[in-house]
Amino acid sequence: MIRNLARTYFREALYAIPAVLFMAFLFAMPLLGVLSQSLQRNSGGGPSLEAWTKVFTTPLFLKVAIATLEISIGATLCSLLLAYPVAYFLAKQPPRRRVLYMILVLIPFWTSSLVKSFSLMVLLGHSGIINELLATVGIGPVKMLFNRFGVMVGMSHYLIPFMVFPILTSLQNQPPELGRAAAIMGAGKLRIFTRVTFPLSLPGVMAGALLVFVLSLGFYIIPALLGGRKDMMFANLVDFYTREVLNWPVASAVAVLLALAAAAAATLLSKVQSGSSIYSEEAR
Amino acid sequence: MEQRASGWRIMLNTAVALILLFLLAPSLITIAISFGGSDQITFPPKEFSLVLFRRFFTEEGWLSSTWLSFSIAIPSALLALLLGVPAAYALTRGKFPGRRLLGLFLLSPIMVPHVAIGLALYIYFNEIGLSHGQLRLIVAQSIATLPFVIVTASAGLRNIDPALERAATVMGASRLTVLRRVTLPLLLPSIVTAGLFAFLIAFDEIVISWFVARAGETTLPIKMFSSIQFDFSSILAAISTMLTALSVIICIVVASLQKEKSSA
Repeated sequence: MIRNLARTYFREALYAIPAVLFMAFLFAMPLLGVLSQSLQRNSGGGPSLEAWTKVFTTPLFLKVAIATLEISIGATLCSLLLAYPVAYFLAKQPPRRRVLYMILVLIPFWTSSLVKSFSLMVLLGHSGIINELLATVGIGPVKMLFNRFGVMVGMSHYLIPFMVFPILTSLQNQPPELGRAAAIMGAGKLRIFTRVTFPLSLPGVMAGALLVFVLSLGFYIIPALLGGRKDMMFANLVDFYTREVLNWPVASAVAVLLALAAAAAATLLSKVQSGSSIYSEEAR
Repeated sequence: MEQRASGWRIMLNTAVALILLFLLAPSLITIAISFGGSDQITFPPKEFSLVLFRRFFTEEGWLSSTWLSFSIAIPSALLALLLGVPAAYALTRGKFPGRRLLGLFLLSPIMVPHVAIGLALYIYFNEIGLSHGQLRLIVAQSIATLPFVIVTASAGLRNIDPALERAATVMGASRLTVLRRVTLPLLLPSIVTAGLFAFLIAFDEIVISWFVARAGETTLPIKMFSSIQFDFSSILAAISTMLTALSVIICIVVASLQKEKSSA
């Protein structure tokens, strides 16, 4: 009887066993290994807090932490500002045309980040296309690469599609009657937007912003290729300590911090999303 | 009032057009450059030629990197399917306690920064002595792609009407028969979609590979990354064109699969 009960309950669970074993041994264990590595002495032998004290006392770490936060917040705001109009536009389209326009957002989404970085470098470089255009009107050359500007452009370019989808979902979940009701009661277009549409899309905005923020914290390729020395982010610091300084404990400590920050933001994200799903069920 | 509303719309449409241009223009310009043919990167291209593509196929290293990437992306996508589709079945059809937690665990590689995964695997592989270069990369890419397979397959499973499975059971089909003759065939479009996306992700992934790959195991993204940094070869334009074409083709195949499913 009990065996039967267990069987009906857990029969399906058996199908997850290979994936769970794979993830336990090749994902969870290695991550725990990073944590334990961060508690080792670099010269070998014995656990110590050497790496962690080093992380929190080196000026380099503080600089990189500030740069990472500045870039991540800036890129999140930029991509939000650029993604919202696109999501709003897509939400207003009839379904058939929406699918068509959606492709224009999906193609950059699925384009390799190296292709994007290379293309942006061709565009923004010292003798790149934009500078050549500027030269014809007698301006420049303007330095747009290997500095903060380049990183911002590259990251926003990468992140916009990630921001569009959650906002679009929350805009589409809004019952159209709400806007119509507001219009009947005499609200103008702008008023409908600021008082009805925008506030109701905030869960999507929050979800998108958190997702994009988490992604930006871990960026490696774009700061490495489009940024300068001052635009080193956490991920580049991990690489720097792994390859150049050959200090695995410090590299591990930074990676642990990065993973923790991502986990914290992910927890917040799941809270926001469960909030927005309650809303959308009510709306239906 | 009408006037203002249409002015508002024109402003919105212009802004959206500019933003979409920003998203698409860099790739389009690179595609144009790739057919330009000269060794210098020039836009607009002065002539039409396939010289950069020819150089990709003949110059040392590019082709072998491309084959290496294929030989990693295909097995790792298959491995992710093999692990992920059954896991998605467990997560969507099972009623066991702890299901949500299990789902969270299996999807967690999406949220963990790739640098952390890369460093973790680098240290771990060294510890357990896994030195087979290709195997290291295949395993690493399967971890990165598994969550996407699970999400796609779960969505597919949720779209299958449970009444179909129930009907087969009522008519006397065994559980395995239902799975084999009803569920899996209905799930096939989602499985293909998941496999294609897994392949694309694994093929393009660079950060984890950058840590895990051993010297000499240069995947195409790693080769591109160093070429962008060190010699900024114009061959990169030709590669960009081919990679973008690959993404577009996969997106089109997936979109047509989706359409078939909804019309069926």
